[in-house]
Amino acid sequence: MKKSTVKKLLVAMLSFAMVFAMAACGGGSSSGDEGSSEGAAGALKIFNSKMEIQDVFEGELADAYEAETGVPVEVYYSSDTVAAHLSTKYASKDPYAVNMVDEKDLYSLAKEYGADMSDMDWVKDTNYAVTVDDKVVGYPVCVEARGVIYNATAIENALGEKFDPASIKTLDDFKAICDKLVKAGMETPTSIMKEDWSLGAHYLAQFIEEREDVDGYVASLKAGEAKVIEDAKFNALMDTFDVLKEYNMWKGQEGSAERELSEQALAEGKIAFMFGGNWDFAMMKDFDYTGGAGMMPVPQNVQDDYTGKLVGGGSKYFYVDASEGTSAETQQAAKDFLAWFASSETAQKFVSETCGMVSPFGSNTVTCTDDLGASVKGFADADMLIPNYPGFPDDHYSVIGAEMQKYLAGQCTREELATAIENYWKAQA
Amino acid sequence: MTQNEKAAAAKKRNHAIMIIILILLFILFIMPFILVIINVFKTKADIVSDPLALIGAHGFTMQNFPEAMAKMNFWNVFKNSLIITIISTVLTIFVSAMASFVIVRNGKWKFCSGLFALMVASMVIPFQVLMVPLVSVYGGIFGVLNHRLTLILMHTGFSVSMATFMFHGAIHTNIPLELEEAALIDGCSRWQTFWKVVFPLLKPTIATVAIIDAMAFWNDYLLPSLVLTDKALYTIPIATQAFYGTYSTDIGLVMAALLLAMLPILILYLFLQKYIVAGVTSGAVKG
Amino acid sequence: MNRNTFSYKLRQILMFAGPGTILFFAVVVVPFVYGLYLTFTSWDGVSAHKPFVGFANYAAAFSDGAYWVALGRTAIYSIFAVVFINILAFALAYLVTSGVKGQNFFRAGFFVPNLIGGIVLGYIWKFVFNRAYVAIASAITGGMAISPLSTTGGAMFCLIFVSVWQYAGYMMLIYVAGFMSVSDSLKEAAMIDGCTPSQAMRNVTIPLMRSSFVQCIFLSITRCFVVYDVNLSLTKGEPFNTSVLAAMHVYNQAFTYKNYGLGQAEALILFIVCAAVGITQVMIGKRGEVEA
Repeated sequence: MKKSTVKKLLVAMLSFAMVFAMAACGGGSSSGDEGSSEGAAGALKIFNSKMEIQDVFEGELADAYEAETGVPVEVYYSSDTVAAHLSTKYASKDPYAVNMVDEKDLYSLAKEYGADMSDMDWVKDTNYAVTVDDKVVGYPVCVEARGVIYNATAIENALGEKFDPASIKTLDDFKAICDKLVKAGMETPTSIMKEDWSLGAHYLAQFIEEREDVDGYVASLKAGEAKVIEDAKFNALMDTFDVLKEYNMWKGQEGSAERELSEQALAEGKIAFMFGGNWDFAMMKDFDYTGGAGMMPVPQNVQDDYTGKLVGGGSKYFYVDASEGTSAETQQAAKDFLAWFASSETAQKFVSETCGMVSPFGSNTVTCTDDLGASVKGFADADMLIPNYPGFPDDHYSVIGAEMQKYLAGQCTREELATAIENYWKAQA
Repeated sequence: MTQNEKAAAAKKRNHAIMIIILILLFILFIMPFILVIINVFKTKADIVSDPLALIGAHGFTMQNFPEAMAKMNFWNVFKNSLIITIISTVLTIFVSAMASFVIVRNGKWKFCSGLFALMVASMVIPFQVLMVPLVSVYGGIFGVLNHRLTLILMHTGFSVSMATFMFHGAIHTNIPLELEEAALIDGCSRWQTFWKVVFPLLKPTIATVAIIDAMAFWNDYLLPSLVLTDKALYTIPIATQAFYGTYSTDIGLVMAALLLAMLPILILYLFLQKYIVAGVTSGAVKG
Repeated sequence: MNRNTFSYKLRQILMFAGPGTILFFAVVVVPFVYGLYLTFTSWDGVSAHKPFVGFANYAAAFSDGAYWVALGRTAIYSIFAVVFINILAFALAYLVTSGVKGQNFFRAGFFVPNLIGGIVLGYIWKFVFNRAYVAIASAITGGMAISPLSTTGGAMFCLIFVSVWQYAGYMMLIYVAGFMSVSDSLKEAAMIDGCTPSQAMRNVTIPLMRSSFVQCIFLSITRCFVVYDVNLSLTKGEPFNTSVLAAMHVYNQAFTYKNYGLGQAEALILFIVCAAVGITQVMIGKRGEVEA
């Protein structure tokens, strides 16, 4: 009752304002007419959050889908953060039918709004579907993994001998080859990015992810029982980090490490190794790329079940909106699109060739055109990927990333870093 | 004689120092503009590797312009930006000048002082705070998003407070009350007095508000991206957003789009300058 | 005509202030009130459920140490930025209205930073600090210079520097309008009466430009307190989250960390602090204003 009066008042105010505006500019606002909210009638609205493929997604792929099925598709992108953008879309009751989000967003967005896709065929074709509350809601877009990117061409040119990434098993091997490279004239063979997501969410997170009972370890961190500084995995990874730091092209100015310049140096063979992931290739290929890049696991002196593998898995997930803003027919159309996106030849070629992404679907046998992607696919096919841990709190990458930045710049010791990690987790309890 | 010469020499010297300071500052201020112009003719790889080089390692390219124009559907988004910016700016100037007139001249009425305080306070609200509630109300409840008119009215609503604030200061100090009283005695109504006497005298402030608001509307990304979801209605900043990404930025296209987008505002600015200068005469009235 | 009746007042207000007031209320006040309500919920920003939690978010905001640090940092940043913006803007306005050759050209040049949006400005200055500065400083000192953006104090300095550079041209516009509205005849009269140019400036021009000062200082305070664009594109809070300003913290809290209600509550506190500072300044400024 009360709400409706408020509503009426608002309507009255707004319509008055509109009438006035019309009058004020001499009825000159014929502009409203063209922008009817229907958009292209019946087009399936897809939200894409992978900016690097926006261009081909909204062009090539959307056209191909319409040509094959007669269903028009519109692909949207936002430079605002995904969570903020989707928040405004839900607030205005105008959600996209298909939404591409990060895994952590599935646990909030898809948990509430995601349509159940458990009975769809593609689910059987992948290891990376995400299930929330016993419903399959997350449709993997691609597989991404992190590790050390190498440039074999650069190494071979410098050393004059064939480079086999499999020969670098331990940290000692890695240090040896770095020394050889330095001797051969490559003064700084490595690079570490300074971005908090790279340091916190990608590098440091490995020490939690590379163990049998991740949940149990996180629980003991929260309880304040785990001693990080005594952890073998933590020390093994930080030892490797120290070596990467020692040969870092940004040594002495770690905080100014610009990602594009590191990627350029690696692509053009000025350095040999960089900690990163297969997404870095999108940038690398635009420089005078020497060819011969690939991914290898982070070398560590502690050898266990997890060394020799990359950390990674599904990256970016589609979920189908099932809120009242999306009708049952649209939901079905969205599911049809996703089925097509997994199994049709056009879409498979689009994923592996055009975008150079690693397909999460077993039935996709199209060769990945992207060198790092091909490398990751090799690991994925051999079941050599350690899954990402989805349970990190939303601010983990930022808070812990900042601590790692300090460590990188030599402004804190390993003990202080370990304490900061312990304190962070204790505060989460 | 000697004194005059000395004064003349001192004046000349001061003038020279002033010019030098101005030129140095000028270079500092237009530096980004120069960087944009240098880099717009280079390939992406060359821009990243050496933004200062006049010509990149891969040579001179014009490719960024047609590519950016095609990708952003330039003429359509340009038209949208133009319509929205012009109508919003004009509307803001009219409603704000009128509102500030009644507020200044009746400062003792509680409504006026209250409204003014509210407007001043509202200028401090970060837009991010209003963003979600705004779309909840106008999208979720009324469903009026996705119209140019909605965006125009919202632009106006958001800029009314600052424009009123600026007109308030101008009317308060620069419009002589005697002029209005004379007009009233001559038989003008308040409405006529405002349009015939007060509004023309506000020219310098109008020009200032026009340039500030037009620029804000022209460059605004967040609000239009919330209101306009139909691609046919996109404005320039929304159409170019895909050039900036987290993992890769197509910096060559950004530069080209930027250059295309900033020219209209630069022209508008140079044009409005005349009115800001013209303010000299209006100020002389009270002398 | 009786000017004190209610109907006269109402007609005047509706006629002149009606349209502006309605738009203002519809677009700013209504969403603000709704936003206020959201601070009493534990909404995550996306869910359809908005559980009411009373003052819990305010309690959480008061114990959020990182927020208060960011707010304090914002205050320091704002003080420096506001002072330098206004000094530089006033000086620029004075120089470009003093009759030097090509003053229109200069005016256009100083305005250029405003034509380029925040994201690209961030890119450009990042390049200047990280690469151009480092290259030049290394060449001069012969050693290896580090980017000011990678040091704690340096990043804040860069933020202030870029803000001053960006807003000085903007505020210059308002000062120019102020200079233009002080008539030459008044200044001349003062000079004939024996004032030196600097005395004329101090005793005639500046008092008459009081409203320009009030406006510019207020505008620069409000912009600095809620700055987000430049913060994001220039430093992103780095190094080690020591350059996170209040608006960025609030944004992250609401959207990245999905505590919408808490973020909104913190934004409201930011708003109150900033409004208090801004309005006090306007009140003080207006009190001594010269009436025309």
